[in-house]
Amino acid sequence: MTTPPLLVGAAVCFWGWETGLSLPALFVATLLEGSRVLRWRLELSPSDWNRVSDVCALLLAGSGLYLFATSGALRTVGGPRAFTLLLQRLPLIVALLVACQAYSTAGRVPASAFFWALRRRAARGEATPGALDLGYPYVVLCVLSASAANVRTPTFYAGLCALAAWALWRERSRRFHPLAWAGLLTAAVALGWAGQALLHGAQEKLEQVVFEYIFSLVRRADTDPFRSTTAIGRLGELKFSDRILLRVDPGPGVRPPFLLREASYNVYNSTVWFATGAAFAPVQAEADGATWRFGAAPGPARSVGVAAYLPRGRGMLALPNGAFEVGSLAAVGVSRNALGAVRVDEGLGLVSYRARFGGASVLDGPPGAVEDTVRAPESAVVSRLAAELDLAAKPPSERLAVVARFFATNFRYRTFQRGRPAGAAPLEDFLLRARAGHCEYFATATVLLLRAAGVPARYATGYAVQEWSALERTYVVRARHAHSWALAWVDGAWRDLDTTPPVWVDEEAGTPLLESLTDLWALAEYLVARWRYGEPDGGPARWLGWLLVPLGLLLGWRLYRRRRVGPGPAAAAAPPRAPQPGEDSEFYLIERELTRAGLGRRPAEAASAWLRRLREAGAPVAAAEALPGILALHYRYRFDPVGLGAGERAALRSRVEAWLDTHAATAGES
Amino acid sequence: MRRFTYRLFRATASLSSRAERRLTRAGKLALAALGAAGILGFDTNRTLGYQAFTFLLALFVLAFAWRFGFRPRLRARRVLPRFLTAGEPAAYRVVFTNDGGRLERGLALLENTADPWPSFEEFQTAREPGEARRNWFDRKVGYPRWDWLVRRNQVALMSPQPLPPLPPGDAGEVRIEFTPRRRGRLELTSVTLARPDPLGLLNALCTIPLPGSLLVLPKRYPMPALGLPGPRRYQRGGVALAQSVGDSEEFVSLRDYRPGDPLRRIHWKSLARVGRPVVKEYQDEFFVRHALVLDTFTDDAGGERFEDAVSVAASIACAVQTQDSLLDLLFVGPETYCFTAGRGLSDTERLLEVLAGVRVCRDKPFRTLHHAVLERQDALSACVAVLLAWDEPRRQFVRDLRALGTPVRAFVIVEAGAPAGEAAGEVHRLEAGRVAEGLRHL
Repeated sequence: MTTPPLLVGAAVCFWGWETGLSLPALFVATLLEGSRVLRWRLELSPSDWNRVSDVCALLLAGSGLYLFATSGALRTVGGPRAFTLLLQRLPLIVALLVACQAYSTAGRVPASAFFWALRRRAARGEATPGALDLGYPYVVLCVLSASAANVRTPTFYAGLCALAAWALWRERSRRFHPLAWAGLLTAAVALGWAGQALLHGAQEKLEQVVFEYIFSLVRRADTDPFRSTTAIGRLGELKFSDRILLRVDPGPGVRPPFLLREASYNVYNSTVWFATGAAFAPVQAEADGATWRFGAAPGPARSVGVAAYLPRGRGMLALPNGAFEVGSLAAVGVSRNALGAVRVDEGLGLVSYRARFGGASVLDGPPGAVEDTVRAPESAVVSRLAAELDLAAKPPSERLAVVARFFATNFRYRTFQRGRPAGAAPLEDFLLRARAGHCEYFATATVLLLRAAGVPARYATGYAVQEWSALERTYVVRARHAHSWALAWVDGAWRDLDTTPPVWVDEEAGTPLLESLTDLWALAEYLVARWRYGEPDGGPARWLGWLLVPLGLLLGWRLYRRRRVGPGPAAAAAPPRAPQPGEDSEFYLIERELTRAGLGRRPAEAASAWLRRLREAGAPVAAAEALPGILALHYRYRFDPVGLGAGERAALRSRVEAWLDTHAATAGES
Repeated sequence: MRRFTYRLFRATASLSSRAERRLTRAGKLALAALGAAGILGFDTNRTLGYQAFTFLLALFVLAFAWRFGFRPRLRARRVLPRFLTAGEPAAYRVVFTNDGGRLERGLALLENTADPWPSFEEFQTAREPGEARRNWFDRKVGYPRWDWLVRRNQVALMSPQPLPPLPPGDAGEVRIEFTPRRRGRLELTSVTLARPDPLGLLNALCTIPLPGSLLVLPKRYPMPALGLPGPRRYQRGGVALAQSVGDSEEFVSLRDYRPGDPLRRIHWKSLARVGRPVVKEYQDEFFVRHALVLDTFTDDAGGERFEDAVSVAASIACAVQTQDSLLDLLFVGPETYCFTAGRGLSDTERLLEVLAGVRVCRDKPFRTLHHAVLERQDALSACVAVLLAWDEPRRQFVRDLRALGTPVRAFVIVEAGAPAGEAAGEVHRLEAGRVAEGLRHL
């Protein structure tokens, strides 16, 4: 083989190490590198090569079939597919062919061993392409097969670079100092490492974007007011999107952070919250058609403006606790339920509204029996905790403070969830062992704990408003600001109780550079949407009218130019028509006279045909017998390229004059 | 569609030829590995192939960046032979002088010849030998035809040669050895110097314009003397027709003027001397003149039979002794050509040069050649015809010549393995591919 000594062996060992096939790899490496020590060689004929190649092809096909048939049994969750497994074993499958090359007298494999067409050509005695040296391609195959093992440590990259350097050292240009070679290789190693990290990151980002896009296509609405499936019990890392969902304009006296609720739920059953008794009833709009009132104003009110996208014109409105009126909402139908959720049934893709709120909530109905209930399997653990915290003995408002303190002191925020002991309910694991989780854990646990303490409680979902966007000069709410918290019925009113540690905001922050880019795009989208769905209070649409000014000017200019460059100068520039021969023939005088007498030529009638017609019709033409002679002379004057002689020209003139005189005389008589 | 495939083939061939020059051996393997790693590593979660991909890509990016700034100050000069012969090893030298201030080493020389790509018309009309036997797809798309045309147009292939180290101001030479594949003119346009990057993946190229051309003569085979029969014939123009213009028969003597002698024959010096008109007297010349008639009428352009016919004609041109006779080479290309070699005229080499460039004629019938030969028949002692078929027009041609008293020796190139027909007695049959053997047995 023409490869540097031990390179093939090292590549095979590297492959064996990565794929866990060290023993076969050691055997193959010894076999191949042994050819450098052993002197005996095999004389292989073309048909021998064909057989060896066929054996390898059969091995490949057989291994492929076996792996595809059994991959279901062999595969673990997230494990390699059959194709990847086949790729991992490829160096072993073709080792026979490479070994034959190593121990053959030719030292190369004829190309006809690989292709039937070439074998047929060789059999016909035609010329075939030369032989191949499989040494370096086998090294490449080993490295690529090692990559299929997917051992995600830097060893693969290190091994890859080492083998590449080994192979390239011999091929380097002797024109340059080895240091230049080493420098370039080092730069390539660094560049490649950075590149692979970038590529991997880009794929992850792309997957997320595509997933979000597909999810946004298939989902029915943003929030299901009857059911909220939580991520409680799900293992692994939760991922959050930076997409901007709401733009919030807090009115006077409203200071972020605050919560905007979309829906609340009252029944918890194995990681899913349900809203029972939450049928929606339509709300009648006020006289202006844009204000929707849910109850009387309870006293001094504050307001918050929200702009939100509604896919297909339907969706839940994000409202602050205690909202009693929604104004400036361009919608046809709005409905609400007893759990404080307000839904737009028919509206635009982008709605901007101003919610007024203050005092006790008029949207939420009073608690029923379900708001006090804690079901198994969580009931035992929350009852025990409630007892430990001695909640029953405290007044209701103090119970909230105790619960909030309990979570604040004993629990941590974490989006990553590890495995839990077999048989343990996720919430039980959260409350007793892990003591770390995301907002859904905290909110659910708080609701259940309050219920166990005798405080009616609900589970609320919505958004936390906290991020000021310098770009848009407003507060923005991203998908990762989605939040859940508890609603507690204290002193005849529902109160928000958010026990999630406030660090959650920071932990879910995105990468600033990428975020600023996507924000720019989001702003453009928002401006387009605002323009598309109209802006009752102005917006970019009001500026669009000004676009008509330059357009009008342009149109005027075009019209003006057209008039100027149109027929005027063009007509002036047209060359004068060359006089046609015979145009001054006196025959035309006869024609004029006859036309005047009402015997004119018809359009496109030849002069001879005209005279014949007059003759046949017996028209009163003076000296009609002279006309054919005159016409003959006229025709020659008009169309004969030679034209008329001076005498004939004079004759034409005089005969016409004679006829005109006769005609005048006849006309005078009549 | 055909134009599209033509453009596609041409673009692909051009790209591949450029890649061939740009990539070193290691570079080609690395590029293949880059492609394979790109496919395997497409899903970065499933394999680590993407790491190999980015590493190889980084190697290529750096190697690509390194190629800038390569401007060696070298002068080149080719030392070319006058002729080459198809199928015989040939060599020439390229002499380089380093005018720069630094030692130039590690360079390779690539010879640039004119593009061998066939024109669209050629691609459309040419038929590869045995094309009818190809499958529908090959016939429709025409890649085998393209490949065959390119190979046919490639007079020679020259492999890259390493340049010796050239110190500043010094000169060195590179010997280029190759075997011309077919007859014709080998146009050399320029030489390119290739410098691999330190990693040995990509070549930086610098092209020096250096036009030149090499004439590759047709293959020739040894053959016995033809021993052409035939009397001497009157040759209008005389022996020295090559050295003068117009009717210049052999000068014999001076004699007195007789009424009717043309004025241009008056010897003015004698008139001045003797005081009466004296004219020069000439004698007409009679000697042997042979015609070598090459049949170019076939649809099989570039086919083996036509090439063999040209080789047979070249062999005959060399075999006929032209010291004492004339040999006319007659064939029809875009028009009818007649080149004469022999006494006082150009030599056989000129005929071989002409034969190196002969192409088939598709747009005229064999009758054209027939008439051209008959026009000259009265001056010909004998005729040698190299024919591509033995059909009626060609038989008529031979018959007509013989009827007019001109001895004819005809060679017919037939397909290998063709059955011996009726031509056996009248003409010499030569099987394509076994021409040397046939000529030896004459």
